[in-house]
Amino acid sequence: MTIPLTVISFAIAMVIAVVTALVQFAGIRGLKELARFYVWVVRGTPLLVQLFVVFYGLPNIGILIDPFPAAVLVFSINEGAYSAETIRAALEAVPRGQMEAGECVGMTYLQIIRRIVLPQALRIAFPPLSNSLIAMVKDTSLAANITVTEMFMATQRIVARTYEPLALYIEVGIIYLIFCTVLTKLQRVGEKRLGTYGR
Amino acid sequence: MADDLLRVNGLSKSFGNGMVIQDFGLSVDKGDVIAILGPSGAGKTTMLRCVSFLERADSGTMIFDGKEYSLSSPSRHDVLEFRKKTGFVFQNYNLFLNRTALGNVTEGLIVARKMSRKDAEEKGMELLSRVGLQDKGNSYPSELSGGQQQRVAIARAMASDPLMIFFDEPTSALDPELTGEVLSVMRKLAEDGMTMLVVTHEMGFARNVSDRVVFMEEGKVVEEAPSEKFFSSPEKERTREFLSTIMNQN
Ligand SMILES: Nc1ncnc2c1ncn2[C@@H]1O[C@H](COP(=O)(O)OP(=O)(O)OP(=O)(O)O)[C@@H](O)[C@H]1O
Ligand SMILES: [Mg+2]
Repeated sequence: MTIPLTVISFAIAMVIAVVTALVQFAGIRGLKELARFYVWVVRGTPLLVQLFVVFYGLPNIGILIDPFPAAVLVFSINEGAYSAETIRAALEAVPRGQMEAGECVGMTYLQIIRRIVLPQALRIAFPPLSNSLIAMVKDTSLAANITVTEMFMATQRIVARTYEPLALYIEVGIIYLIFCTVLTKLQRVGEKRLGTYGR
Repeated sequence: MADDLLRVNGLSKSFGNGMVIQDFGLSVDKGDVIAILGPSGAGKTTMLRCVSFLERADSGTMIFDGKEYSLSSPSRHDVLEFRKKTGFVFQNYNLFLNRTALGNVTEGLIVARKMSRKDAEEKGMELLSRVGLQDKGNSYPSELSGGQQQRVAIARAMASDPLMIFFDEPTSALDPELTGEVLSVMRKLAEDGMTMLVVTHEMGFARNVSDRVVFMEEGKVVEEAPSEKFFSSPEKERTREFLSTIMNQN
């Protein structure tokens, strides 16, 4: 469950993050404030608390969500807020004059964002986003707290049967380490492939 | 008057700290090359940006290619129409960093003009060779010198077959040994009959290439004259002062 939980949540988080970052970058009134509020709340509260609110809290008002979708929901919303900040900073880092140049050749704002600014921003954001993905692989272990049988939860169950906590917890640690090492390697390859434009 | 391509009337603009352009007027005939001179802070860039809708003026109107535009509250449609007929060359080139030299020239053609990629690239290569960069089509801006980047920017501004091109100090970000290549491209453009409005500190260009000089200070036109006359027998005391300072620097 660790891998699908991470992959699905991260993919949704990226969509949320790009939208949230763009709304702020473009300064769309109303939506911009909403985006800020979202980022503020999510970044200011612990992930574990968010998991508990959604899984154990929401049933109080009649909203019952199964463990796995609840975990996906919380991880995407959480990661979306952090990555939105990363992407927003990357958007700001793209030299602004290109937008005016785009206007002068007759492009619309959306065309400029989609074809010129966003591709450059995503390249700038690639390394920090990869780091977030790696952090997320490990954070998914928190989903055990809301009964999602991801890797950590599975380990706890085996420990309960076999009374071998040291060996088993070290083993699961090593598995996380392998996942993250593979991802780090992929990140290097990705960075090489993307490179900078020219040079 | 029949050849009047651009006429600006009553352009004013202030920023928080005060008036930058005051009741500025200008008219440009088809085929004219106009040099805008003036000390730093005179409002040259601001004027150029207001006229090209990169900045909203507080007031002012413009007639361009027979159509009237508001400089303070133009409609989106008017702005797009104006952009289709003009080009702008920036001091810092402002090339699209994620596009090759060729991509910079074709981007507007493909996206804004809906030209097919093939036609756009053909046209792009032709323009790059006009600025002497036919072999740099696949280079990214980061792989080009400042002079080469500015020439790509000029090719990009020419791509839409504009009626007029605006230049804001196109050589002042360049190392002195690179200004020549850009100026010679501009001179060629002028000889081919392009209408150009050029903010510049290059006295050689103003004197030898431009037809007329507009000298600005504190957001107003101080003196306007045919280039030859402007340099040989300026009328205003302030103009003489400015010219002698400039000449002493060189
Ligand atoms: N965006 C802005 N906000 C506030 N003040 C501005 C802005 N742009 C220009 N100004 C002010 O307007 C005045 C004119 O600036 P402008 O850049 O038009 O001068 P310029 O003639 O182009 O000078 P230079 O030769 O140095 O490029 C300056 O005093 C400048 O500080
Ligand atoms: Mg200027």
